[in-house]
Amino acid sequence: MELLSVRDLCKTYPGFTLDRVSFSLESGYIMGFIGRNGAGKTTTLKSMLGLVHPDGGAVEMFGMDFRKKESACRQQLGVVLGDARYYGSKSLRDVAAVTARFYECWDDAAYRDYMKRFSLDESKRVRELSTGMWVKFTLALALSHGARLLVLDEPTSGLDPVSRDELLDIFRDTVANGERSILFSTHIISDLEKCADLITYIHAGKILTSTDRDSFTDDYRKVTGGRGELTDAVRESAIGLREQSFGFEAMMKTEDAISSGLAAEPIGMEEIMIHIEREGRE
Amino acid sequence: MKNLLYKEFRLAIHPSVYVFFLLSALLLVPSYPYYVSFFYLTLGLFLTFKTNRAENDIFYSALLPVRKGDVVRARVLAAALLELANILIAVPFAVLSVKINPVGGNNAGIEPNVAFFGLSMLMYGGFNLIFFPVFYKTGRSEGKAFLWGGVFMFLYIIAAEAFAQYIPSPVSAYLDALGKSEQLRQLPVLFAGVILWAALTLLSAKISAGRFEKVDL
Repeated sequence: MELLSVRDLCKTYPGFTLDRVSFSLESGYIMGFIGRNGAGKTTTLKSMLGLVHPDGGAVEMFGMDFRKKESACRQQLGVVLGDARYYGSKSLRDVAAVTARFYECWDDAAYRDYMKRFSLDESKRVRELSTGMWVKFTLALALSHGARLLVLDEPTSGLDPVSRDELLDIFRDTVANGERSILFSTHIISDLEKCADLITYIHAGKILTSTDRDSFTDDYRKVTGGRGELTDAVRESAIGLREQSFGFEAMMKTEDAISSGLAAEPIGMEEIMIHIEREGRE
Repeated sequence: MKNLLYKEFRLAIHPSVYVFFLLSALLLVPSYPYYVSFFYLTLGLFLTFKTNRAENDIFYSALLPVRKGDVVRARVLAAALLELANILIAVPFAVLSVKINPVGGNNAGIEPNVAFFGLSMLMYGGFNLIFFPVFYKTGRSEGKAFLWGGVFMFLYIIAAEAFAQYIPSPVSAYLDALGKSEQLRQLPVLFAGVILWAALTLLSAKISAGRFEKVDL
């Protein structure tokens, strides 16, 4: 079942335009939403979630028009906005007690269970939590009210590698039963390699691609060659070309790489991102 | 709305508000501009908004399964309940003040009588109509909102004191008085104050909610 569908979302700020952003997410998957800082990740998420008013486009959640059925959608939605903690001076117990009242499907037993599983102490104040514990707490809240779609903005930034790994395992467990999905934005590529099934790549306010992880890397090849091989045709199809004293290296769409006859090899996600961004700069 | 009010009181309202309630005891001071004792609650409201901004109250609220306008309505309602509570808490202090202080001895302003409470309610109504709409225009400038609200209260207090004591009018004879028959004659002022307070507060909630719906967070 399609849990989320974003179509032609637009939002213009002075100096930045979110340009007809479209992607969709089926249940049971984790989608990594990537792009460099300032590419429009947070703006997309905020426009999609109705926190800012999009200039155009449509968002469907759980088969409902988000703008028309906002409250009903939010009942099944869990959101973690970066490190934007709320009510730092209050205890987890206070925040949970209030949150519980708003959700029809709040399951207190599940909540106790998640708190135990994530080793969270209810009597602690929000501001006493580490970043990783805060993300876990908000996840516990979302899962306890039966959220089917979890939207997380940079949940892993600022985490040490061990906490990050632990959190990614929790993400995997969360979608394991096939009923839930996670959309999380990040610029940490290793997170995606570990746990994203799907990749949506945003660059300068536009979606470059939204596909499964393997197709994403299969789409590109890294090519290298000597100076003599750097023809105009190669320059034309090269992405993020870098010329060196004796030759060049660049990335190409796989079909271009094959037809160019250059030495080509598979390329990792991090390098893909670097080449695309380098191309964008030039 | 009940859940949002619960949220206001459990998570959002700054604890200083309850301490400022106790400043109603200023009504016991023999000579004091008594309206000022009701100013402190608005300072508590300002601190609530200031702390809330640091604590991302708006983001938390915006993600709840409620209408954005209801978040604002709940906040204005919570503030109105606090104002009402502050007025009610002040009543016993006013009664005691009249008992222990020399009759008509307040040289600094109006006596703590029935009219005073009506005019104080009207002051809160005016404050609400300024403070909340200014804040919810952007959702982030509580300082500006409190500044304008504060300027209003300052001018209001001067005007109300002048009206009761210095400017001759048909009500001058009894507005600043403590006698039983005079206080009975003040009752319409109290009723008008309460009704205007309610009307201005409702209007404030309506304008604020409308403005906040348009804000990009």
